[in-house]
Amino acid sequence: MDKYDVIVIGAGNGGLGAACRILNAGKTCLVCEKHNIPGGFATSFVRGRFEFEASLHEFNGIGTPEEPGSTRILFEQLGVADKIEWIQLKDAYHLISEAEGYDYVMPFGWEAFAKANNQLHPDGEKYINEFFALCQQIREAMAYIGETKGRPDPAVMMEKYPDYLACGSYSVNEAFEALGYPKEIVDNLNTYWCYLGADGNNLSFLHYANMIYSYFSKGAAIPKYRSHELSLAFEERIHELGGDIWFNSEVVKILTDEEGHVCGIRLKDGREIAARHVIANCSPHVVYGKLLDSEAVPERALKLTNFRKLAGRGFTVFLGISKSAEELGLKDHNYFVYDTTDNVKQYESMKKIGNTAAQATVCLNNADPDCSPEGTCIIYMTTLFTDDAWSSVDKEDYFKLKNKVAADMIERFEKATGTNIHDYIEEIAIATPETYARYCGHPQGTVYGYESQYYDGLMSRIQMVEEDRFVPGLRIGGGYGERLLGFPSSYKSGVNEAGRTLRDMEKEGR
Amino acid sequence: MAFKKSNIPGEDIRLATEMTAKRRKLIDETPAAPLVYEYGVNRLAKDLHPGFVKAVIAEKTPCSADCWRIRLEPAAGEAFPYFRAGQFVTLSCRAGESFLSRPYSVISSPREALEGKLEIMVQRKGIFSTFLIDEAAAGTELIAGEPSGDFYFDSIRDRKHIVAIAGGSGVTPFLSMMKAIREGSEDFRLTLIYGARTRDHIPFDPEKFRGEGVEVIVVLSEEEAEGYRHGFITAGLLKEYIDCDTSVFMCGPDAMYRFVRGELESLGFDETKIRQERNSVGDREVSEIKAFRLIVHIRDAVYELEATNNETLITALERAGIPAVVRCRNGVCGFCHSRVVNGEYFIAKENDFRRSADKKFNYIHPCSTYPESDMEIDIPIMNP
Repeated sequence: MDKYDVIVIGAGNGGLGAACRILNAGKTCLVCEKHNIPGGFATSFVRGRFEFEASLHEFNGIGTPEEPGSTRILFEQLGVADKIEWIQLKDAYHLISEAEGYDYVMPFGWEAFAKANNQLHPDGEKYINEFFALCQQIREAMAYIGETKGRPDPAVMMEKYPDYLACGSYSVNEAFEALGYPKEIVDNLNTYWCYLGADGNNLSFLHYANMIYSYFSKGAAIPKYRSHELSLAFEERIHELGGDIWFNSEVVKILTDEEGHVCGIRLKDGREIAARHVIANCSPHVVYGKLLDSEAVPERALKLTNFRKLAGRGFTVFLGISKSAEELGLKDHNYFVYDTTDNVKQYESMKKIGNTAAQATVCLNNADPDCSPEGTCIIYMTTLFTDDAWSSVDKEDYFKLKNKVAADMIERFEKATGTNIHDYIEEIAIATPETYARYCGHPQGTVYGYESQYYDGLMSRIQMVEEDRFVPGLRIGGGYGERLLGFPSSYKSGVNEAGRTLRDMEKEGR
Repeated sequence: MAFKKSNIPGEDIRLATEMTAKRRKLIDETPAAPLVYEYGVNRLAKDLHPGFVKAVIAEKTPCSADCWRIRLEPAAGEAFPYFRAGQFVTLSCRAGESFLSRPYSVISSPREALEGKLEIMVQRKGIFSTFLIDEAAAGTELIAGEPSGDFYFDSIRDRKHIVAIAGGSGVTPFLSMMKAIREGSEDFRLTLIYGARTRDHIPFDPEKFRGEGVEVIVVLSEEEAEGYRHGFITAGLLKEYIDCDTSVFMCGPDAMYRFVRGELESLGFDETKIRQERNSVGDREVSEIKAFRLIVHIRDAVYELEATNNETLITALERAGIPAVVRCRNGVCGFCHSRVVNGEYFIAKENDFRRSADKKFNYIHPCSTYPESDMEIDIPIMNP
């Protein structure tokens, strides 16, 4: 078939979610992916006797079958929930921050987490209970706005969600200042900042509060067979619903007709496929800078794209260790190792190569003891670069430089945890911004889409979603979308754009 | 509680309601400058990983009783990427009715590749090496996959002294490493222990490679000669070269791996410090050769062919002339990752490097998979 109702560009989380939504509605759909497997960052790879998770540290919004979180509900609607086996994580994290001398473990669960804050401040529990009550109102307000399809009744908002409105414009740092919590409590609540990668002066409080409330109160999980399991579950669902996925099939052009409406795509090998609707699961920088002919790109699309800021560029060290986690002395799954919890300072020092100011490190065996052979363990350490630091690296220096940064990160982790890892490294792989650029084509190797900026945060993007699209028949979903980065957000964004595409088709049909 | 930041009544909410208007204004004020087409990071990624490069045979030289060196040049407008000494390239071309691909380790150093020189060693073994040795000539065009594999020195993982053990054309990755050490693109000590039957079976000139940081020991099994060791690569011999700061790299036939691993074990050498390059998965022995019907989907095209239970699926595809993606041919790299629609198959445990979810959802690497019934599979398109 050379014509589909919808073509999805990219089989990343957003693209896979979008394709399932389209197919569930009975439309035909083709997914074109330039790599040979689905998932984008949601994948895994094998080195020797180890299988490494490529990107996921923990997945929030899953909950349990009895008390499902929002993403589990979404997966149920799409028909993939039964295909995935989840492992619930026990603790939230182990924070080690040098400047403040923090070294503690925080549990999941509202009550347990609130109580654990008493070790940081005598009134810790009280502050956390108050904070979570505020978060609950934020979540309820967001749910209400969603139910009203973005047109909430102002009177209801004023009456039921006044705090949501009052903190709506503020950054994380502004809001915490207004809340007046002690430094130890704020520092602890700020720990997850690197999951969104914007500093506290820019990051939207609503967005951050909503995310950490989900983590702390509902916990987090990981798929049993790495995130490749998620991607293959989606691929299987797409086939079940009669959809097609073509691999090694890079889209190089989005075609438009005389009216400027999308009419198809062109693959790298020259083959053209017709479709009135395209959902691009890639960056608007690529869509407006490469995939569309420049005449098809309105001025305001360029303005919007130039207005946005590329977010954190990824760097990860994957280690297969010939000793068990227990033998190494690592008890926890999730470590945050920081110079300081002042994320404005951290953000600044992560602009350059040479600092290892912040790392999020996972010892996978402490969540899934069977993830590697007995007597071994898997560790992966991730950091971000908050500027385009890797752009001017010479190819002859590249391999040495990435090993130097990786060696620093390993040493830093060993020092923070008092362990010896380097003597037992059996397998190593290092992903730099170049690696992320290679596999997923993202500008500068960003893994976080567009950064949450003061005026480009979650709520503004959601409210302006229709205003931010320009080409009839084309929608852009995934990590660059209105829900911003992260696994749950990118699936949701793709599904949302597919829902909007179905409405577009309905309007056209009328 | 009531969230309050500003002391001006209504100010907090007013600021929130103005967010979109401010965003709109900021977008209005941003220039409509053309978007950057390619970033430095993305350019380097492409330089290092061009995917496929069209190459031409420039020179073919015999270098031992059964080995030839073949020097490739990039076709017009193409370039070889920088790589890690020890990696391989997969060469493909159409030969008669078949479309063949085979991996070959690179002799050249990373810097030589940048100068447009990519030399490989071919040992007369199978259908493609015979084609390269007997039929291909200067000017023959090939498709070269980008240098791949993780058989290279890693400064974090490996000890500073590598004892490299090789036989046959297995010396190839170490020739590249020795050149890299000399040119300064790699920084480690390498002791090469090469096993050959006689001096006529040595496909390189040891004298040319000895130098600072590089020692070469040749062990002849069927000849005694001055300057050469006699016998096999035994524990006694290995003991002379292995110190407390050694990792062992091996490249050669499987029989050599088995023997040397046994010798290393008797020395109490840490087996997690041994790396070996893997050999291609070949035919398997079966009690009865059976032919099956294989249906292959590539995008929306469907092919039907015959596959036998003693040959890998990739061999069946090649024989039928279907340009199938393949890179390592030993089950490891996952480049040929394919979906099983239905059918039974066999993968030897030692060649099964699939991801755990691939097993759950029934995906295979055709290069290491044998059919056990009629099969239907969906493979990615070869798209250089």
